Amino acid sequence: MITVLNIIITGLIMGGIYALISMGLSLQYGVAKILNVSHGEFIMIAAMLTWVFVGLGIHPLLALVLCCPFTFCVGFLLHITIFRWLNINSGTAAAYESNAMLLCFGLYFIFSNIAMQIWGSNPVGFQFMEKSVNLGGAIIAVNKIIVLIIALAVSILFYLFLSHSRLGKSIRAASQDPVAAGMLGMNIKKIMAICFGIGAVLAGIAGTLISMYSQVNTGMGMGYTMIALIVVVLGGMGSIPGSMIGGMILGFVGSIFGYIEPSLSMVAYYLIILVLLLVKPKGLMGR
Amino acid sequence: MSMLEVKNLNCSYGNVQVLWDVSLEVKEAEIVALLGANGAGKTTLLNCITGLVKPTSGSISFLGESLLGTPGDKILEKGISYLPEGGRMFPEMSIRENLEMGAYPKGMWKNRNAQIERMFELFPKLKERQKQTASTLSGGEKQMLAMARGLMSGPKLCLFDELSYGLAPIMVNEVFKIVKMLRDNGITVLLVEQNVMQSMEIADRAYVLENGRISLEGRCADLINNDYVKKAYLGL
Repeated sequence: MITVLNIIITGLIMGGIYALISMGLSLQYGVAKILNVSHGEFIMIAAMLTWVFVGLGIHPLLALVLCCPFTFCVGFLLHITIFRWLNINSGTAAAYESNAMLLCFGLYFIFSNIAMQIWGSNPVGFQFMEKSVNLGGAIIAVNKIIVLIIALAVSILFYLFLSHSRLGKSIRAASQDPVAAGMLGMNIKKIMAICFGIGAVLAGIAGTLISMYSQVNTGMGMGYTMIALIVVVLGGMGSIPGSMIGGMILGFVGSIFGYIEPSLSMVAYYLIILVLLLVKPKGLMGR
Repeated sequence: MSMLEVKNLNCSYGNVQVLWDVSLEVKEAEIVALLGANGAGKTTLLNCITGLVKPTSGSISFLGESLLGTPGDKILEKGISYLPEGGRMFPEMSIRENLEMGAYPKGMWKNRNAQIERMFELFPKLKERQKQTASTLSGGEKQMLAMARGLMSGPKLCLFDELSYGLAPIMVNEVFKIVKMLRDNGITVLLVEQNVMQSMEIADRAYVLENGRISLEGRCADLINNDYVKKAYLGL
């Protein structure tokens, strides 16, 4: 019973992180048409920065707040400079999509290697609310509970932002028909750059949260990119609720296998994808 | 007073010239029909007016002010609403949200709910189904929604591209009735159509575009009796 409880709580935490990461990737792909394989590097950079900030005596929660504008600006500036330049020079939309993915591979190498030059490749970490509480028999560290609460709150806020705010609605409109959205007065280039920036922020929040309960290192990014890709395919390309649900499913699978045999969790992820693609090729919530 | 004035417009895609010396005028509170077969250049002309395509030469002015160089996303704020062919609704958004998007520009956004209520008076069917997604609507209902979305910004001039295309005859009548009502309420309409007969019935004046050139223009009452129009477009 206690084991089951442990698995559920761990699943929720992993699922919350996965959902955050995948919503970001889904937004970048669904609206800005960039399959960002350097997504995990934004997670890594935020995680490493949080470690640096904490080393400077800044509280981890304040570091979380500081990382948000930083990751947004990096994403936004990347989009209005090199991605816009690439878009102008690609000719067709299809060519832009594949070129953008190649560019992201380049960003992955650049970011991960610069980070390795600066911080080396050893795992680093800090102490944050390591006390444990007893939840119905399961012993859970307080930091993990805080991480779970923040991840869920950010996911819900992000969903409300997309469904209720003017900017959020215009993002959805631009993802469904950019030409019509432009005719209605929406600045599509700006909206796409904002989407890329928000995607980077979601990755950054996830990175800071991860650093709060586990050690991080400069090579951590790619693993999370792979998971985000799996979740986005699982949930349905471009579907934000799909990413939330897909993230939770993958989190629970990871948690169950983490208990049985951790080395098999990647195998399990890919088996799920394989079966899903056979049964429902467009993903759980795919259009 | 002239609302929209296009003068000696030329437009090319690469080496292919699509519009040749096109001139056209739309006066306040009239319906002007721009008629012509597929590929005559009708949509290209609209795209030039709305800033989506850059003409090679000529001028376009709206209320005496040049429109050339105005980016596509600023046209609506000037008071021109463009309804592209097929309506182009946002399929995964609700009907209400689609309408809200029609009032996207900053100054209009805060009045969106009052505007939506007005649209519901005009198109009662949309009110019943406001929470459904646009993808669940039939072709005619989508066109109604497209018109309502186009009117959300309170435009002075509406550009309608192929409003009747793909609609059942009864829906065509319905849609054209609304166009007439708009004109009677002081909204100027440029109606781009392949449906020559019915467009002539509601429009005040018409231009016929053939292979990128204006071949005929005049009052619809006169054009309808023109032998060439009768033979080539009305099949009489």
